Amino acid sequence: MINLVGNNNFYVKYENKRWILVSILISFFILLPILSVFFKNFFQDGENSFDYIWNTLILEYSLSTIYLIFLTSFFSLILGIFPAWYISLYKFPLRNFYDIVLFLPLAIPSYIMSFTYSDILSFTGPIQSFLRNKLPYIYPFFNKDYLQIEILSILLGFALSPYVYSVSRISFSLIGSAYFNLSRNLGLSSFKIFYKVILPLSRPAILSGLFLVIMEVLNEYGAVKYFGVNTFTTGIFKAWFSFGDVKTSIQLASILLVIVFILLRVEKISTKKTKFHYKINAKSNTLIDLDKRKLFTAHTICMFPILFGFFVPFLHILNNSIMAIKTINISHLFELTLNSILISFLSAFLIVFLATFFQYCERLSRSKVAGLINSLISLGYAIPGAVVGLGIIILFTSINYYFDSVYLIGTLFTLIYALVIRFLAVGKSPIKSSLEKHPKSYDETGKILGLYSLGLFRKVFFPINISAMIIAFIITFVDLMKELPITLILRPFNFDTLATQTYEFAIEEMLVKSSIYSLVIILIGASMLIILKKFIYKYNYVS
Amino acid sequence: MYLEVKDLIKYYNPKNQLIRKINFSVNKGEIVSFIGESGCGKTTFLKCLSGLEKINDGQIILNNEVLNDKATYVKPQKRKVSYIFQDYPLFPHLNLIENITFNLDSIYEKNLSYMLSLTNLENLQFRYPHQLSGGEQQRACIARSLIREPDLLLMDEPFSNLDNSIKESIIDEIYKIIRHTKTTTILVTHDIKDALNISDRILVFKAGIIQQYADPIKLYCEPANRYCAKILGDINQITFDQEVRFIRPENLRVVDNSDYSILVEKCYFQGNIYKIKGILDNLPCHFFSKKPYQRNIKVCVDFDEKDLIFFDSLCLSYFE
Repeated sequence: MINLVGNNNFYVKYENKRWILVSILISFFILLPILSVFFKNFFQDGENSFDYIWNTLILEYSLSTIYLIFLTSFFSLILGIFPAWYISLYKFPLRNFYDIVLFLPLAIPSYIMSFTYSDILSFTGPIQSFLRNKLPYIYPFFNKDYLQIEILSILLGFALSPYVYSVSRISFSLIGSAYFNLSRNLGLSSFKIFYKVILPLSRPAILSGLFLVIMEVLNEYGAVKYFGVNTFTTGIFKAWFSFGDVKTSIQLASILLVIVFILLRVEKISTKKTKFHYKINAKSNTLIDLDKRKLFTAHTICMFPILFGFFVPFLHILNNSIMAIKTINISHLFELTLNSILISFLSAFLIVFLATFFQYCERLSRSKVAGLINSLISLGYAIPGAVVGLGIIILFTSINYYFDSVYLIGTLFTLIYALVIRFLAVGKSPIKSSLEKHPKSYDETGKILGLYSLGLFRKVFFPINISAMIIAFIITFVDLMKELPITLILRPFNFDTLATQTYEFAIEEMLVKSSIYSLVIILIGASMLIILKKFIYKYNYVS
Repeated sequence: MYLEVKDLIKYYNPKNQLIRKINFSVNKGEIVSFIGESGCGKTTFLKCLSGLEKINDGQIILNNEVLNDKATYVKPQKRKVSYIFQDYPLFPHLNLIENITFNLDSIYEKNLSYMLSLTNLENLQFRYPHQLSGGEQQRACIARSLIREPDLLLMDEPFSNLDNSIKESIIDEIYKIIRHTKTTTILVTHDIKDALNISDRILVFKAGIIQQYADPIKLYCEPANRYCAKILGDINQITFDQEVRFIRPENLRVVDNSDYSILVEKCYFQGNIYKIKGILDNLPCHFFSKKPYQRNIKVCVDFDEKDLIFFDSLCLSYFE
């Protein structure tokens, strides 16, 4: 007698699709403000200046955006990969110190970096003043206009190099000494090992870091505007604020969005093709003693990004803060700090929750739909914060007909909603790479041992990815602390954060007064990044 | 029959079926080895049995319960099937003992100390996976599978990472447990020696179909086709009565004079015996000898007619 047990095929076919259905619903809610911007774009009548921009500025926007991306990528790669190589493979004095502080440039918002360096390099700044007074013969060589796209790309390279450094560092360490020793045995020099073995194996990791750099450059407004470089983002703002033409700004944002979507797909395909699985449950790498002749090179390579990416701007801001110490309102500073922490904490928490959900859903279902949803929800990262803010305003005024939604604009709810849309990709990245590192046999073993999707998450994937979630939380938190345009547009009445206060003083050319607020952002960011570093290495068994 | 597989078809692309209508059955407590080349669908077949993959057509019945057919699919969580994976996936956040008892029903907890001693892991109970060697991780996976007394045990290359020194004893112990618990077992392996040592029956799989399903002795001595003959070990082609015949190397004996003269090419020392490689009628040929031979000398060999293997014309050229 044969008993029929179990479930029918219909149920099985749709078992994981319940997860996909929920993720479609949530992603729709996340994409709704962006969709409403584009919806309004296509259904709004009237004149626009798009023809003017298309005929006159589009080429300039495209060329300068590509040029800026190219240069910044180049500098970020140089400043990120080489220190990671030395620190991951070699043992030398101050190695641990460098390893901690190489993350710190991330704590300085790129707009603060630009304001600070333009102050340092300006006619009245310390360098030109010193040269004018002490070395007048060589002064003319330094009396230049430093607000150039090349200088901007170097500054952005310094500010964004930790994205490349962090992924390269982990990848180089996990690849391990086995490949290094094998390559030496095959007669390859250190340099050849680096570019023939280690770099190709780390390509997916480096690309994911570079992708974040490119996204940051595409979305950069404050620094780009200050340097007078015309990129798509400045074009969007110019069309919106200078021409008062929302439609054109949205059309430009559409082009930007298409570019980003193509970049996302390219990154995904490229990563898929060159996927390298690090050995599971492997022991950590053994460090090699660095030849004394190479010590100078190692120290120079590690010190350079830290010195110019963190210490110089930090000391300048610290100096300005000390100068302005008597004018500081401590209770106001404390209140702004609390506001920044509150907004960043709530948003980062929500982002990590949603990012984990979307990533786990993709892993469970292995469907193209889930993959597409994950790509789409990352688009918010590429859209300028101001456009996201605009989208929220359009959405809530549009649905006001059905219920009194307009009152929600200018509340913490809409602010956090916008921040989640904008920064979901940042939180997603570490969780994605962590989940991808675990082999499919974990899922299969869990199922064979009797676990269902939720149980599998609770008993296996949550504990083994908890560190990645904490890393995602910290990275997102630090980014949110620096966030400016969305908070400026959507903050509740009489609600300020450290970033908005910094910006308000800076645009009034009161850089000294703004310094204390920048300093607090940097100090909180730096402390979080030091904690982050500990987590990353403990969790990845990085030596 | 305890496990019955009827007309099983599995594919990812309908134009390229990985498993094409296979039929076989396994008795309770039997150990069956599944052998074939890499990528031929052995692991996919195990996943179909475990429920990790759904079949496209056919039926799988275990212990009189339909696990999978057109109308029915029992989830892997509900099947009493254990699976030992090739990459020994221990969960990195759990120590060894937590891994072995992971999601374990309390009625099986009594088996823990026996499993630990069986797999020789008593002293490593609180170590985490990254602190264990490959062999120790593999033994932990074996313990995790056996502790829950499965109805069907699936093993995908489970001994590939074990040191030779402990491999034999672990295989012996596992064999004893399987026999003792009457656990029906399917073993996927590349190692023909493992298959011959512990299997009641061996299933040779190629091009999506079963080439032969028989006990090891029959399979070795009476292979169904040339592929089955070759997969189990060296086989020499010779001409006997003007017809093509085959013979195993161990059935050739060195004599002073015969019609079969082999030109020695290489002599391999194998401890208690020499394995000689040479040329016979322009074809490679192997035999065993107690003494070594120099290269390029001719050695005469003979055999018993009963040891010759014959294939019909179709099976003769199968997969050649």
